[in-house]
Amino acid sequence: MTELARAGVTVTERERAQSWSRRALHVALIALVVVYSVPTFGVLLSSVQRDREISRHGLWRIPDEITLENYERALGGTNVPNYLLNSVVVTVTATAVSIAFGVLTGYVFSRLAFRGSEILYLIVVAGLFFPPQIVIIPLQQLFSHTPINDTILVLIVVHVAFGLPITTMLLRNFFSTIPAALREAAIIDGANEGQILLRVMVPLMLPALAVLATLQFTWIWNDFLWPFILIKNDAARTIMAGIVLLKGPYDKAWGLQGALSVIASLPTLLIFLFFQRYFIRGLTFGAVKG
Amino acid sequence: MKLSLKASQRLWTFAFLVVPLSVYFVVVIGPLLATAWLSLTSYTFSAFAPPEFAGLVNYERLTGDDYFHTSLKNTLIWMVAALILPTGGGLILALLLHGRVRGANVFKSLFYLPITISMIVIAQTWQWMYQPDWGLLNTLLKTIGVEKWKVFWLSTRGLALGAIIFAWSWQQVGLSMVIFLAGLTSLPGEMLEAAQIDGANYRQSLRRIVIPLLLPSSVVVIALAVINSLRSFDLVWVLNEGGSGSSTLAVQMYRETFKSLRAGYGSAVSMVLFAIAVIIIVFYFRRVRRLEHLYD
Repeated sequence: MTELARAGVTVTERERAQSWSRRALHVALIALVVVYSVPTFGVLLSSVQRDREISRHGLWRIPDEITLENYERALGGTNVPNYLLNSVVVTVTATAVSIAFGVLTGYVFSRLAFRGSEILYLIVVAGLFFPPQIVIIPLQQLFSHTPINDTILVLIVVHVAFGLPITTMLLRNFFSTIPAALREAAIIDGANEGQILLRVMVPLMLPALAVLATLQFTWIWNDFLWPFILIKNDAARTIMAGIVLLKGPYDKAWGLQGALSVIASLPTLLIFLFFQRYFIRGLTFGAVKG
Repeated sequence: MKLSLKASQRLWTFAFLVVPLSVYFVVVIGPLLATAWLSLTSYTFSAFAPPEFAGLVNYERLTGDDYFHTSLKNTLIWMVAALILPTGGGLILALLLHGRVRGANVFKSLFYLPITISMIVIAQTWQWMYQPDWGLLNTLLKTIGVEKWKVFWLSTRGLALGAIIFAWSWQQVGLSMVIFLAGLTSLPGEMLEAAQIDGANYRQSLRRIVIPLLLPSSVVVIALAVINSLRSFDLVWVLNEGGSGSSTLAVQMYRETFKSLRAGYGSAVSMVLFAIAVIIIVFYFRRVRRLEHLYD
């Protein structure tokens, strides 16, 4: 009896100690996340203040007045809406094409292996690790000899090529998880590889495609290097290159820069909010298995 | 004529691969080889002087170039910092948020939100922190009464690189956290409970169970951190264009090539970057293979 009672007491004491440490951890985490979010908050703050307010009183205080003027200015001209449109066209097209390519290559490397296909696969996946800087000069020269030079088509081609390593790798791994019996049954039914891929495999892989679509959309939308180097024509510029370009003439236009940053981040933020699950699955893919 | 199954499969294989691989070889592999060739020339984009073989001149010049030494040193510093700040920070966050913390999902979302934001916007964000007149850091220094509060974070030698790496780590920490968290979910909860019943304290279970299980995720996190640090261009370029001793190899490559128009020399810098990437690729694949044997 006393034994049991003692056991009961120790349990509740331990629970109490645990709940205290848990509460302390909780408070610490809230403090940490607040400090962590301060820089993000600064951009929002700058986007709703007038420049002269910022230069007079500084940025980091409660503004006297909240204004949407910066947003009107950002979207008012023709440049920024055009940059945004270019970004949408480049990102959507390159995302779709790079995934379609990945479906084809991933399927071959997983199900139609041939002599030398393992080495070919390694060459493709190695591209994941290449810093893009190492191909810039020849690429720029190469494109300058083609009719698509200085158009958004150049950006689409580059993003499709640099997207191939990740889409190939993730989709090959995905195809390998689909039971081989499914494909064999389809072959017995007289289906060819094209029909197997389209009618049997693709319907099974919609979640995997969603994972890749969120990843690719985010990387391509956020890219700065390619439009910065390959595009000189303002009509073909994307939003990230546009923001940096606009910094020059409007050096002290802090509010405008803040508003532009918010506008340019909205598409990927929306993707993140609605497809977070897929996005994270993509980022962590292979992390567990190596 | 009816094709045999084998022949039909060959045909489909070819049809599936031909376009994607052509694009990949034309845009990635071909230019990579071309850069290797250009690094052996003194090409300057001149239409009148096509690239001509010049031997190892560019590489010899690299050995005596102080700016290159700084870039290389900074790239290595960046790689080491990448292993400490975002990787270590991500591990701690993952361990804190793995348990049954109330609102864990909200915390996680807030920590990995910056991954979805462009480096260009991250640069903007941190300018509001480092701005000399009214940036947050200097505002704080002024408020607590530091006399020399006006610190030029991004244009002081010795401070600039650290300030940029810190901003970069702020973004990257969420990525490491997410990957470590995925590694932790593969950790069976019963295992920890069993260890606790057997009387293991938190530190013991961390050392004996959690850390070994996180080894595969660590390889991925470290490879990603190191690779991403090799690419560091956007942030440096927007924050201070690689001035005040904060240049990296990627930044120097851009400067030599597109500001000074020394394409041959810039290509040599690229090849150094590539050599570092290859070392990491080899190390990564060997490591991953060894781990796979370990867990089979």
